[in-house]
This record gives sequence, structure tokens and C-alpha cells, in this order.
Amino acid sequence: MSQSQPFPFPREYFFPPFFTRQTNLTTHHAQLTKWSSLILSYCRHHRIFKLPLTPPDVTTTTTTTTPSATTTTAASTSSAVGDDLFYNRKINRRLSLSDTREVIDFLRKDGRAEYVSGNDKEGGGDVVWIYWRTPEEWASLVEAWVDETAQKGSVLTLYELTEGEGTRGTEFHGMDPELLQKALSVLVKRGKAQIFGQEDSQGVKFF
Amino acid sequence: MSSRKGVGLAAFDRSRLASAQYASHGSTLRSTNAQALETQLSVFRSLLQQFSTTHAKDIRSNPTFRAQFARMCAAIGVDPLASSNTTGAGGSGSSSIWAQLLGRSVNDFYFELAVRVVEVCGETRGENGGLIEVRKVRERVMRGRMEGGGEITEDDILRAVGTLKPLGSAYSIVRVGSKPYIRSVPKELNTDQSAVLEAVQVLGYVSVSMLMDNLRWARPRAQTAVEDLVGEGMLWVDKQSEECEYWSPGFMLESEELGGVPG
Repeated sequence: MSQSQPFPFPREYFFPPFFTRQTNLTTHHAQLTKWSSLILSYCRHHRIFKLPLTPPDVTTTTTTTTPSATTTTAASTSSAVGDDLFYNRKINRRLSLSDTREVIDFLRKDGRAEYVSGNDKEGGGDVVWIYWRTPEEWASLVEAWVDETAQKGSVLTLYELTEGEGTRGTEFHGMDPELLQKALSVLVKRGKAQIFGQEDSQGVKFF
Repeated sequence: MSSRKGVGLAAFDRSRLASAQYASHGSTLRSTNAQALETQLSVFRSLLQQFSTTHAKDIRSNPTFRAQFARMCAAIGVDPLASSNTTGAGGSGSSSIWAQLLGRSVNDFYFELAVRVVEVCGETRGENGGLIEVRKVRERVMRGRMEGGGEITEDDILRAVGTLKPLGSAYSIVRVGSKPYIRSVPKELNTDQSAVLEAVQVLGYVSVSMLMDNLRWARPRAQTAVEDLVGEGMLWVDKQSEECEYWSPGFMLESEELGGVPG
């Protein structure tokens, strides 16, 4: 993944009160909107699909409950880039976890975020899908690509789709396999694709 | 020259004659004067009209030119913005002299600008509670009209806001300290609140103790003023410093230039 360029943080990121929950309702709403767009553009820039909410230096007690695969991917992305999103080292301000959840809930209402499943309880887990593209949008991207490359009717493995040479240069190259599953299941529901195979060697056929 | 004083009855006649002659001479002078003025005015009008039509483009695109033009009009005593909807604009027909002369291009310019100003105020109302610095408005308007649009000055913005007056809307110019602000919510600031906003301009934020130290206010007074402003959405709270700091949302726009390059 080529993401060497630093994310250009918006001006509100350097505004200290941005990290404190605003008491005034209208102000708070403006704050939520700004945070939402910051999170989306940040994740898009770094191609983060799953965003861990707990900062790495806070004790991660919840890691044991989440599947090990999730934790490793989440941890690897977070330690690299994810930690400066909710914490501005320069002005030493941090968005608290509860406030972060509020923003996530705001995004969820918009269909732009979802708690990674397995945490059905209220308040959700600590890792969140950030849909800077929703599964539906990913689905149509994949569909368009299949269409363009005339691969309708052929069978592709999921690995091929995200890691294969053929998809190099497409947006979904290198995307999270779980998210790809979600996107493909959208296509399945529409009758545009069929998924078969076992756990590790799944394939998909497009119609 | 020593004048000989008239004596006898003839003197009365002579003085009557003299005053009558003075009067007639005076009236001819006056009429020629008026005539001259009238022709001057008509010439001026046609020239102004010519000027404005030939330079309509410049008036719209060149801010210094526009400002000069507006200043010239002000000096002559013509209000460039007195338009058809202001009543009693000198009785020159239904619309203003200005609109007649300029074919509305200048008015249109300010009306269009006013629409943009209203948009900017609306967009940012959530974050600033309806009080925004004119300078910020200008920045945002300018950003929106990158391609081919001419320069706009703060003076233009002020005039544009002036055009909104006939709508009876809440848009008005408020001065806080030395800086003009546009207020887009019907809310009066009391003197304490203005003082706080003025103090905020210095560093971008204030705290209660800063107000107490600098304005010699008692704590409750400072607290109330600040909390009122937060309640209005005109200040943002930062609770992550030693003492609560109250920030002006206008400072957020400003830090774009300051903090644009992270690291």
C-alpha cells in the first residue's frame, strides 16, 4: 500500500475545543459533522477499513474477546497510523472514548460505520468498520471492474480479487477480505454473483 | 469714492429703481446659474452613464476600482445601493437614479454577493452561533469563486449586507472591538458579552480567570458572560486544559493557515 503522504488534517483538528464534547446542541451537531467527515477522509486516506477505537497506549482488555485475526490486523494498522486521529499530539488534546463512540453512532446513523460483529451488546465493541465506501459502493466497484474486464461468468477467488495482479490499480485492491465478503454478499443478494468454497479458498462467480 | 447722498424726493425714486434693477439682475443671474447647473447635471449624468456602461466590467471585477467608484458616488451624494425598494429615493421615478444609470449591474453585483454571504452565514451558523467575522466571510466567498471571479473586498461584503436591509432580515453588522462581524441571528450582545468576544480576539480564547484579571470582573460575572456565549454557540469549550478555555470558532478558520502543515 502506498500511503507515504501524511494526511492533511483539517483546520478543526488544531482547534483545542474540537476534542471536548460541546455543550451547546447546535455546536455539538456541528462538531459531530466535522468529526465524521474527518474520520471518513482520514480512513480513506490511509485505507483503513477497520478502525480501533481504543488508543494503543490504553490497556486493551477487550482484545481477548475479539477474534485473533481482527486484533492483529487492527493493531497493525493502528500502531502505524491510527493513533493520531483521536489524539493531536501537537496541541495535546484527545477525544475521549465516550465522545468517540458518540461520533461513531452519528456515523452509524448515516450508514457510514458499523461495529465489527461479535459485539452485539449496547455500546458495541472497540473496532469499527468505517465505510468511506459502503459495502454497496464497493459492490458496484467490483461489478464495474468485472464488467470492464469481461470476466462475467468466470470464477475468481477472493484472494485474487484483493491481492491478485489483475486488480492492481483498482480501488479494491488490497481491501479488507471481510469487507469484500460483505460487498460480494450484496451482489449475491442482487443475484449478480455466487460465492462458493470453503473458508480459505472461497471463489466467486459473477453473472 | 465719496457718494453723494441724494436729497429731496427724487432720491426715493432712484433707490426704488436701483432695487428693482438689482432684483431683475439677480433673477437673471439665478436663472442662468440654474440653467448652467442643469446642463452640467445632465452632462454629468450622461457621462456617468457612459462611464458605468463602459466600465461595468471593471466595476464588477476590480475591487479597488469599485471602491473608488462607490466613494465617488458617496462624495457626490448618490447612494449606489439605494435601489427600487427603498422608498423616497429622491423622487426620480420608481427606481433609483443608480439603477437607471447603471442598468442595475452594480446592484446585481451586490445582490449576488449578498446571496453568497447569506449562504456562508447559514453554512457556518452551526459552529459559530451566527456571528462571523467579515474577514472570514470574505475568505469563504473568495474560496468559492476561484475560477475567473474578481477580487472582493471587505467593503463589498459590508455593502452587500446593507442590501439585505429591506428584507427586514436579521443580517446586520456588529462591531466587536475594532473588527466588523456579521450577525445572522436576531440576538443582541450585551456589553459584557461584547467585552468577552473582544478579549477572545487577542489569543483566540479566554478563561474565566483571564477575564477576572484583565477586566477586573468578579468570578460570577465572568462565568455568566462566558456561559451565555457558549449557550449561544458563539464560543467552544475546551475542558482539557488546566482551566476551561473558551475558544472563538473564528479561530478555527484562522488556524488553517497556521497549522496547515502538520509536523
